[in-house]
Amino acid sequence: MSQSMDLKEAEKKVFRTVYNDGLWDVLLGCFFLMFAFAPYLSTIMGDFWSSAVFLPLWGLVYLAIRLTREYVIAPRMGVVDFGEKRKRRLKKFSAVLMVFNFVVLILGIIAAFTSGRVSGSLYPYLLGAFFLIAFSLAAHVLDIIRLYFYGLLSGFVPVVGEWLYVNAGFSHHGYPVVFGTTAGIMILVGVVLFLRLLIQHPGKPPETSLEEDIHA
Amino acid sequence: MPELHTDPDLQPLADIDQVIHAPARLMVLTYLYVVESADYVFLQNLTGLSWGNLATHLGKLEEAGYITIHKGYKSKKPHTSISMTEEGRKAFREYKEKMQKIFDNLPD
Repeated sequence: MSQSMDLKEAEKKVFRTVYNDGLWDVLLGCFFLMFAFAPYLSTIMGDFWSSAVFLPLWGLVYLAIRLTREYVIAPRMGVVDFGEKRKRRLKKFSAVLMVFNFVVLILGIIAAFTSGRVSGSLYPYLLGAFFLIAFSLAAHVLDIIRLYFYGLLSGFVPVVGEWLYVNAGFSHHGYPVVFGTTAGIMILVGVVLFLRLLIQHPGKPPETSLEEDIHA
Repeated sequence: MPELHTDPDLQPLADIDQVIHAPARLMVLTYLYVVESADYVFLQNLTGLSWGNLATHLGKLEEAGYITIHKGYKSKKPHTSISMTEEGRKAFREYKEKMQKIFDNLPD
């Protein structure tokens, strides 16, 4: 029994190692930056383009992450191909998240076409619940504890923003402040994890001589 | 040690696979068991073994037919990936069962 538990822990450890480089935290932070800046841009560009303009930015960040993984992380941390069980779990998670996003999208469209009559003041709570559920689901499936923290953080953010808007006179429903802070925290966590990894694994061992070493 | 082989009660101890039983090799196989394949750097980071030490243990495991070492290229750079063979997985499961049996019967 304890043996099987150890194997489970070993599998989790392998998985966590891959997602502990901080790069996905930076990407998430960039995603949340959209909510912070879009309200300002919407006055110039309109609602659609103020959000759409971030797509190329995410594309660039994603590309930078892929390249960093290949040329900076992989030589230091190595490369692993996960087992079937984990691959199936990831596929299941992607499918659930896709269905969840689709439902939220439909709800958003309904809210837009009813001019906010359906969502009304519920909007901050719905958005908060969406973030909380999505992050908690990801934390559970990926076994990454800090995603629960991100879920709590981003779950409260729309509600706190609305409170600041109503009670303290913050502009744009308080989004620039609360989402900006959340994005800043995520990016900071990502950068710290990334720098820690670079410090702990400064260089790459001489891979080329492995064959000779094994058969020496 | 000779008594070990003649005492039927202790026979399971003598049957333990010595290739797997070494702590460093057991650690390597444990990680390889839960993944499809991993490269040398990844295994070194997880196990904390030195370059030479890991190479020696991998050599022994490869010799026993428990792992395969595939030398190829990734992004035009040499890349070594290591995976467990079916024989290795079978031996690892057998080792686990034997160890469990031994310790299950151990009096408190």
